[in-house]
Amino acid sequence: MNRLDLRIAWLYPDLMSTYGDRGNVIVLQKRCLWRGIDAEIVPIILETANSALSNCDLIFMGGAQDRQQKLAGDDFLHRKGPVVKKMVEDGVPALFVCAAYQFVGNYYLPYQGEKIKGAGIFDLYTEHPGDQGKRLIGNVVAEIISDQLSACLPARQVVSYQTDKTIIGFENHGGYTYLGPSMKPLAKVIKGNGNNGKDGFEGAVYKNSIGSYFHGPLLPKNPMIADWLIAKALDKKYGKKIALNPLDDTLADNARNAIMKRLRI
Amino acid sequence: MRDNGDMSFLDRVVITNAKTVSQTSTGLGIGAGETWPGELALKLRPKIASYFGKQFTKGVILVVGTNGKTTTTLMIKKILEANGNRVVHNATGANLLNGIVSSCIRQTDWKGNLNADYGLFEVDENSFPIVLKYITPKRIVILNLFRDQLDRYGEVDVIIEKWQRVLEDLPMQTEVMLNSDDPSVVYFGKLVKGKVTYFGLNDPKEYLKIAEHATDSTFCPQCGARLTYEGIYYSHIGIWHCEKCNLKRPIPDVYTFPKVLDGLYNQYNTLAAVALSKSLGIKESLIKQALTSFVPAFGRQEEIVVDYPTSPADGGIRGAKRKVKLFLSKNPTGFNASLRTIIELGAKNVFLVLNDRIPDGRDVSWIWDVDFEMLPKHMRTIVSGDRIYDMALRLKYADVKIHVESDLEVGVRRAIVALPTQETLYILATYSAMLDVRKILTGKRIG
Repeated sequence: MNRLDLRIAWLYPDLMSTYGDRGNVIVLQKRCLWRGIDAEIVPIILETANSALSNCDLIFMGGAQDRQQKLAGDDFLHRKGPVVKKMVEDGVPALFVCAAYQFVGNYYLPYQGEKIKGAGIFDLYTEHPGDQGKRLIGNVVAEIISDQLSACLPARQVVSYQTDKTIIGFENHGGYTYLGPSMKPLAKVIKGNGNNGKDGFEGAVYKNSIGSYFHGPLLPKNPMIADWLIAKALDKKYGKKIALNPLDDTLADNARNAIMKRLRI
Repeated sequence: MRDNGDMSFLDRVVITNAKTVSQTSTGLGIGAGETWPGELALKLRPKIASYFGKQFTKGVILVVGTNGKTTTTLMIKKILEANGNRVVHNATGANLLNGIVSSCIRQTDWKGNLNADYGLFEVDENSFPIVLKYITPKRIVILNLFRDQLDRYGEVDVIIEKWQRVLEDLPMQTEVMLNSDDPSVVYFGKLVKGKVTYFGLNDPKEYLKIAEHATDSTFCPQCGARLTYEGIYYSHIGIWHCEKCNLKRPIPDVYTFPKVLDGLYNQYNTLAAVALSKSLGIKESLIKQALTSFVPAFGRQEEIVVDYPTSPADGGIRGAKRKVKLFLSKNPTGFNASLRTIIELGAKNVFLVLNDRIPDGRDVSWIWDVDFEMLPKHMRTIVSGDRIYDMALRLKYADVKIHVESDLEVGVRRAIVALPTQETLYILATYSAMLDVRKILTGKRIG
């Protein structure tokens, strides 16, 4: 059999990459390479043609500052968003974090001004709670409840208080996100805020794609999510189930555990 | 007689009382960087800062920017003092308004008079607009703007906007020294009324081969188009221009000076201090003389010689002195700069300490923006700190082999004992981690 390979699209690495987003891409790539799967990171910038994007097998898009968000937002809404929507509908796995998570929804309602249209890839919307609403910042502990992910999680040696569904991240967002009826939450919050600080859920799953507020970054401390995305990308590309060799994730277990202890869980 | 500004009897009473607080706390060994005499004085007399601002006979100098404030300020202090000036400056970590006021209180006599020529203060990014409400400086040095801890400082763009607003309001008399190689810093020069002096590097030999990841400002601060770089020195610092609106890197007025400290970033700090000093009429020969014996600030390439016995296996010999060099590394650009510098210095042993206490920022995501991949394979790499496993995980994904030391004190001692006599241990640590390391090495707490 030929060597397996994946092309990982990284949307707007120069505009939408703040505070550790690169960690998600590094983890996806390394976890492929360590298993002998070739993985190329394809930077998708404003000038990139849509064909380069639609050739990819996995998509990542991260957070942004306001100014950069405007530049990327325009391009995403009119050019790349429709391509990503089609890919997500077709089952190409994607990960959208922070600003990207808000972008793929139906709209964002700022504190002042009009609704900003989203790409409508995920059925969700985000609202700013106003100047009295608090920004949601801090370490978060959650349990994966998405059936799709749960069904595929490998059994792992459970360290101290963690179950094999525990995920940990750091959130920092002003917008509160609410899921529509066709969306499933990724996880149930145990400590922290999650999507909106009210309904107790974090993130969203649609087909093989995930949205999350964990910019921590999400994947290094939660490698089972990275492996789920990689497995889905391989399934889709090669049309069959390909088992992933297990990797030593002791350091990730320890890193999660340190936060659990800190938060007294 | 000195002009006392609008100091009232009450101001004097407040200063005197705050001074008592300051001396008591110093006497009790609570620490040098304490800021609560200033906090107390500001509570009672909010305008006390503006009173102090007017007391300096030659004026106030402010130094701002994400990285390099402490080193640059210390260099300026050396130069001004060598030129016969009396200088009041704020200690490391006391760079909010309360810290500035505290440092003034400490210098006053019992009548509340400062008796100083210059007030020289490094100012925190968020506090800069607040400080400018009370103090109209004679000079402002703006070093650079990089992404820092998001949860502490917010987004770089938000800081830039706030600074733009306050810089516009400054009078003609305030001159500014700007880094010509940082696009958003240069754009501030378009907004101020006073004279602008640029400092920067003209040295194509130092261009990076590959751009670093931790880059923020590659878009034009004037029109938003992507900038074109002829060469990048580090992060987004380099020789840039905008093809769309023609904004370009100005030719620097000050661009060369003999090396004072290792690392390209320190060359910028040096050029900034030189530009400032020259603007005050100080001769280059005197500047050179003042900087020849420059001793770095706390944790900024600070060298500590320790005298631990060798391990019992090696006979437990005393008197084997070993060198430790401390590099405060608290954000992606600073960390990359530290890594590059120690690699250039031929480091073989590096000790990385990551904490997430309030002065460090609670969010450690930024370590994924640091290019640890540059660490050479032969480097002995040890990690420790409150977020030891986050750091270990980052290095694992950079294919760096590591030793994990969960107890910082034990780890530091072990690393020193294991050090061959001729080698140096390079410790790169975040702010609170650096305080801990210094305490372990010197037995004293500073800052």
